[in-house]
Amino acid sequence: MSGDEEEEWGRRRRRIAGDPVTAALSADLLALILDRVAAARDRKAWRLVSRGFLRAEALHRRALRPLRRDALPRLLRRFPALELLDLSACPALDDASLAAAALGGAGRRLRSVCLARASGVGWRGLEAAAVADAAGLRELLLDKCLGVTDVGLAKVAVGCPALDRLSVKWCLEISDIGIDLLAKKCPDLRSLDISYIKVTNESLRSISSLRKLEDLAMVGCYFIDDDGMRILSRGCNSFQSIDVSRCENVSSGGLASLLEGHHLLRSINARDCVSELTSCFLSKLSVISNTLNILKLDGFQLSVSALKIIGMSCKNLVEIGLGKCKGVTDEGISELVANCAELRTINLVCCHLLTDDALFSIANNCKKVECLGLESCSLITEKGLDQLTICCSSVKELDLTDCNVNDAGLKCMSRCSELTALKLGLCASISDEGLAYIGSNCEKLQELDLYRCTAVTDNGLAAIAAGCKSLKRLNLCYCTQISDTGMKHLSCLEELTDLELRGLVRVTSSGITSLAMGCKSLVKLELKRCYSVDDAGLWALARYSENLRQLTISYCPVTGLGLCNLLGTLRCLQDVKLVHLSWVSIEGFELALRASCGRLKKLKLLSGLQEVLSPELLQMLQSRGCRIRWVDKPLVFKG
Amino acid sequence: MDHKLKGTSEASSKPSSLMPGNHFNPANLAYGFAQSPKTQSQALPSYHPDNKMKITNPLESSQTVSTPILDWDPRGMLSNLSFLEQKIHQVQDIVRQIISQEGQFSNRAGELAAQQQLVTADLTCIIIQLISTAGTLLPSIKNSLLSTNPMLGAPTAAFGSNPNLNTNQQRNEVVTPEMNKGSEYEELIKSLSASGEDSDELMLKCLDAGRAGGADERIPIDDHDLKESDDGGAADGENLPPGSYEVLQLEKEEILAPHTHFCSICGKGFKRDANLRMHMRGHGDEYKTPAALAKPARGPASEPALVRRYSCPFAGCKRNKEHKKFQPLKTILCVKNHYKRSHCDKSYICSRCNTKKFSVIADLKTHEKHCGRDKWLCSCGTTFSRKDKLFGHVALFQGHTPALPVDLPIDDVKTPNNNNSNNTPELSRGGEAVNGLGGNMSSYGFPSSTSDDINSIDIKGVDDSRGYFSPMNFDSCNFGVLDDFPRPAFDVAENPFSFLPSGSCSFTQRNGES
Repeated sequence: MSGDEEEEWGRRRRRIAGDPVTAALSADLLALILDRVAAARDRKAWRLVSRGFLRAEALHRRALRPLRRDALPRLLRRFPALELLDLSACPALDDASLAAAALGGAGRRLRSVCLARASGVGWRGLEAAAVADAAGLRELLLDKCLGVTDVGLAKVAVGCPALDRLSVKWCLEISDIGIDLLAKKCPDLRSLDISYIKVTNESLRSISSLRKLEDLAMVGCYFIDDDGMRILSRGCNSFQSIDVSRCENVSSGGLASLLEGHHLLRSINARDCVSELTSCFLSKLSVISNTLNILKLDGFQLSVSALKIIGMSCKNLVEIGLGKCKGVTDEGISELVANCAELRTINLVCCHLLTDDALFSIANNCKKVECLGLESCSLITEKGLDQLTICCSSVKELDLTDCNVNDAGLKCMSRCSELTALKLGLCASISDEGLAYIGSNCEKLQELDLYRCTAVTDNGLAAIAAGCKSLKRLNLCYCTQISDTGMKHLSCLEELTDLELRGLVRVTSSGITSLAMGCKSLVKLELKRCYSVDDAGLWALARYSENLRQLTISYCPVTGLGLCNLLGTLRCLQDVKLVHLSWVSIEGFELALRASCGRLKKLKLLSGLQEVLSPELLQMLQSRGCRIRWVDKPLVFKG
Repeated sequence: MDHKLKGTSEASSKPSSLMPGNHFNPANLAYGFAQSPKTQSQALPSYHPDNKMKITNPLESSQTVSTPILDWDPRGMLSNLSFLEQKIHQVQDIVRQIISQEGQFSNRAGELAAQQQLVTADLTCIIIQLISTAGTLLPSIKNSLLSTNPMLGAPTAAFGSNPNLNTNQQRNEVVTPEMNKGSEYEELIKSLSASGEDSDELMLKCLDAGRAGGADERIPIDDHDLKESDDGGAADGENLPPGSYEVLQLEKEEILAPHTHFCSICGKGFKRDANLRMHMRGHGDEYKTPAALAKPARGPASEPALVRRYSCPFAGCKRNKEHKKFQPLKTILCVKNHYKRSHCDKSYICSRCNTKKFSVIADLKTHEKHCGRDKWLCSCGTTFSRKDKLFGHVALFQGHTPALPVDLPIDDVKTPNNNNSNNTPELSRGGEAVNGLGGNMSSYGFPSSTSDDINSIDIKGVDDSRGYFSPMNFDSCNFGVLDDFPRPAFDVAENPFSFLPSGSCSFTQRNGES
């Protein structure tokens, strides 16, 4: 990444060299200006101005997300002011590279490090990192660092006593012992995530001594039960947020005892943990009625009366999650929202019984609603949406997947000028006309999902592309009428990062070329089953989509040459799915994968290739941190 | 105790003059008693030109000595007899002295007991000498005699292991018993011990820590002594009623003795009487009879009502009865382990970690079972067998972190001192040389010996090897036993007998008080 910039800078330099204005600005002034330059694109442009600007930016840079471990020590030296280091994208990050990075002298000012999914990191790396960052590390995310054990956690706990936020989610090797030590060594912890690790109530006993702990997440801790909840309720934490989702052994009785001890709770997430809410929990809700903002009860069996009690008790509720709740009816929703005027986020996903009446009551009571999940609420019609959009103009996110929304519904939605995310998957009746409403009014739209909206054509895309310039994520899977013309329209979306074009058989390489040339920010691209995209499309991607990190070209009629060029050129590419490339020969695969120079992090291949590809290659890939997923389907060659 | 030591050295100086003339059939050596350091130096096989064996090399000795037992040497017999004569004179002297001083020290009953015991021990030596001398003539007789009186060692051991006997005091009431037959002698021993216990059984019991009952079998002499010492106003600091609680104190040397049962034929030592009985089967059919193999029966009137507890001989120790907050030890095994753990060098080093040291080999073995496996090391160097223990430690101290376990090369267990490693081969050869039975003397290693006592190590080094094939055994048995380092005597000299030194230990201690 940085290498690229330097080269490009060299090119620009010849143009700007000697510019008196840029030369006159001191580093301090530049830093002051940089404080106001936030967007990544702007900063990139800044870096390209001159050597002085580049240096100023390097000195000013606070956050870094490197893609390769080799560059880590150099990058850390170059950006001395880094505070946030995200290493989750580094493939094959291991103890040695982490230690080297730490030894590089950088990281003295680091406050936050993310090591998510760095399964190669063990306690040695953590020790090095902890020692180097001992002074100020506040935030450490170790999500799914499978190599981290209690010893690693102990290193962190001892090395970073000022730790403020820690996540050991999915660190399956960590046990009660490590958590106990952590609780003793890091008394300042405010946020802790122990989701999915095999800890028991003993850990909660240790955790309950953390006075400053505000946020505790323990998703999927199957060994924690009501006794643990009672321990927590007697603890001296200052909990504000508790997440006990998927804790199968925690019942509403346990939750009730938790409420007793912590009157300042603002957020309770009890998703999928118990099936039924008991009256004892509901009665305890009134204890925290003033503070509770977020209540997620997805998956519960909720009667009308229960919803009524919730509504009565929690008047300050801002967010409620009722996804997949059984027994949620229009009546229940109306009882709930009658007292909750502050609700902003309502998740009603898969509450199949809801009709327009529910939307009416929401619209009439919760004027501030911003986010509404209505996926699979198939009884909803445009009337409900009409009422909703009239009353709640601040709606930002709307999930209407599988709700049979039609163009009239979209017309209503276009009233919401604040809309940022709109999901219309499986709404087959949506046409270009409806999209035109959206495009004309929803300028702030960032995410649009048109999965299997088969009636959408290039014209609809033209309207969207013209109106929603800040669109970042677009899903056009199986909108089979879309062709190269639509791609040309999309090419004006410079912000577009995620694009899914699965099954667009009419899109050819020329469409991809225009897309690649226009959408410079493209990070994730899906071209599965785009049967018309061939090598030329890959060439274009290789040439223009420098930021591409994730690519699916399964079933595309590409050859080894294009693949080789693609993998050899794209420096950020980390995740490729190459299933059923029947025109690519074994040699093509070999060469292409070798050309990737070990940059790949994830690879999806046909299992038939496992035998024919050379073992050295596979070994090399794996040693460089590439995880290969083998798809068990027959191997076909057409080349 | 100082004056006792002086007495000892006096006594030990006598036999040295006798030694060069002594000359024994190797078969007799099984009866050998340990020698004083002085005798040792002179008793080197190569120093005795008149020794038939002319041993210059232990290996050679094993060949030359394996001649049949029946090979009788009249000259050896003569020297034995002259030795006996001298010994009897010596005992006479002691008894006469006691009689002459009777009036002055009549109140010191404990010292009287000491005299009594000394004489007993001397007499025992004489008996043994007689028996063995006869045994050179009739090997079959010798075997039977030995088999019948394994407990002869009791007084001898008491004698041998006690360096502090004062031969100059008080009268001795003990009348020399008939010495013709071992069985009669056995009766004598029984009569001496009020408990009437078979000393073998006693030993077995004493060693068995699991059986607290073993503690109540003692030769009464020491009980008597102890009681007297209590009466004598010894500052025990105990508040317990005198009758409810009885304190015994073994001597350091006894505590550290590796074996307490010795084969009367080959001298091999055993920790348990049962093992010795098993071993004896190899020496002939007469040991295979059910009676010989049976566990010696307890005497009937042997149930003292008193609870017996033990005191550590180490002055200042909380387990020492002189301590203000004296906490007694329950069994002899407790005494042994306590003494080794608390007052001996930790000479067993774990071969895996090379850091952990132990003074009790069982502790080492327990440690080695876990050492290296799941070894949890702290940055401060402390190791733990369990992770939670390490984490508890880390939580307790600032700046400590779990560290990489060090993989140490696995060496042999370090021997506690050169004594063991150096002498074992010699010992085994010596054992073969003596009786041709190929008795493996490697069990004579002294893992428990204290390495802090350098003198004792050095002497043992000589002792253990020589004691077996030196013809000087009887000399040392008679007089040389009274040396500064009685432990070898305990180890080797009493080998034909099973035990038991406890009487002497209490005796010594009591004298120290007086």
